[in-house]
Amino acid sequence: MMQSSPLNFRRVFILVGRILLAGLFIYAGYAKIRMPTVPQRPPLGVALTFFAMQVDSYQLLPKAAVNVVAYSLPFAEIALGVLLLIGWQLRVWTSLLTLVMAGFFFGVLRAYLLHMEINCGCFGVPEKVTLLKVFEDGSLLVLMALMTVFVFLEARKPHPWTAPASA
Amino acid sequence: MSWQRIQAGMIAIGLLAAVTYLSLGGHMAQAAPPKPQPQTVNVPDVDPHKAFGQKSAPVVLEIFSDFQCPACRQYYVGTNRQLLDNYVNTGKVYLIHRDFPLPMHAYSRVAARYARAAALIGKFEKVEDALFQNQQQWDQTGDVDGIVASALTSAEMTKVRALVKNDPAKLDALIEKDVALGRTYNVSQTPTSIFHANGQTYPYGGGIDYQFLKQFLDQLIGQK
Repeated sequence: MMQSSPLNFRRVFILVGRILLAGLFIYAGYAKIRMPTVPQRPPLGVALTFFAMQVDSYQLLPKAAVNVVAYSLPFAEIALGVLLLIGWQLRVWTSLLTLVMAGFFFGVLRAYLLHMEINCGCFGVPEKVTLLKVFEDGSLLVLMALMTVFVFLEARKPHPWTAPASA
Repeated sequence: MSWQRIQAGMIAIGLLAAVTYLSLGGHMAQAAPPKPQPQTVNVPDVDPHKAFGQKSAPVVLEIFSDFQCPACRQYYVGTNRQLLDNYVNTGKVYLIHRDFPLPMHAYSRVAARYARAAALIGKFEKVEDALFQNQQQWDQTGDVDGIVASALTSAEMTKVRALVKNDPAKLDALIEKDVALGRTYNVSQTPTSIFHANGQTYPYGGGIDYQFLKQFLDQLIGQK
């Protein structure tokens, strides 16, 4: 006999969140490499150095760290998105993604508060950092954090499809 | 760790590799030293007095700028000189200055008129330099005329004043051409750099540090 329904609120939330955020992260990583506003796919070096200019424009990182972040972040986003979609080691990856998302939110919020005339660099297209962008990132951070909490809570309970222990 | 988890991990790595492969498509740019390749980009309405370098340069860079915008000043002071010395004067980049005075700045339109008038008598560089270097001064007082006068000879200044006073509509029409062009690129902030290379256009909003502009330009020039 099942100990709980496989479709309670938390599980539906986690499932929908996983699909939504995985898609978003995979697209964000891909868009940084593909650059949707450019008709033909640019060479990888062009796309990554373009993204490096955007990372540097936040003036958050030392110059030496800018290229490290710019050259790895698109691939990390794709990797984390795929892992989220698969659902393997969810507690680890949702926690990590929450930290990443918090970093994005902090960067965008700081740029907005300092009236920095920069582009977000989020999806490979020119997007000004506006209040809307701050809310967008804030909402995603809340969604990510909630999902992480639910993942931890669900992990403490026995899986609904687990066979009851025989007496 | 269970066998199922190992399998899931392998699937994740496989998917990641597939996505990465599809994304890249073997398009890694050459790390070899850049070799400028001449090209012709059809950029409309280029005022020769506001364009620098060779038209046949492998990269054409249009910068939409507002003389009163602090980020534009920063771009000019921190990046422009090195860009001119290392890329424009060496035939690698054809640099075009575009006016994009923002309505939120009280004196940027006036400054753009003076700069346009100076361009018509072939003195754009001097006036551009004076306006950006002394931006904090005229930004407070609105004394654009005084700043421009300090950069030109009295004869040159007389000509500039005549153009600004007698024919502001002509100057505004030239400025509006740039603004209209900017709108076709969806320019919404200044500075905005539009890079043209290998038949592709890369719009970039905001200031750029020279170190990262350099590595981007090297990639653009070095691509096949």
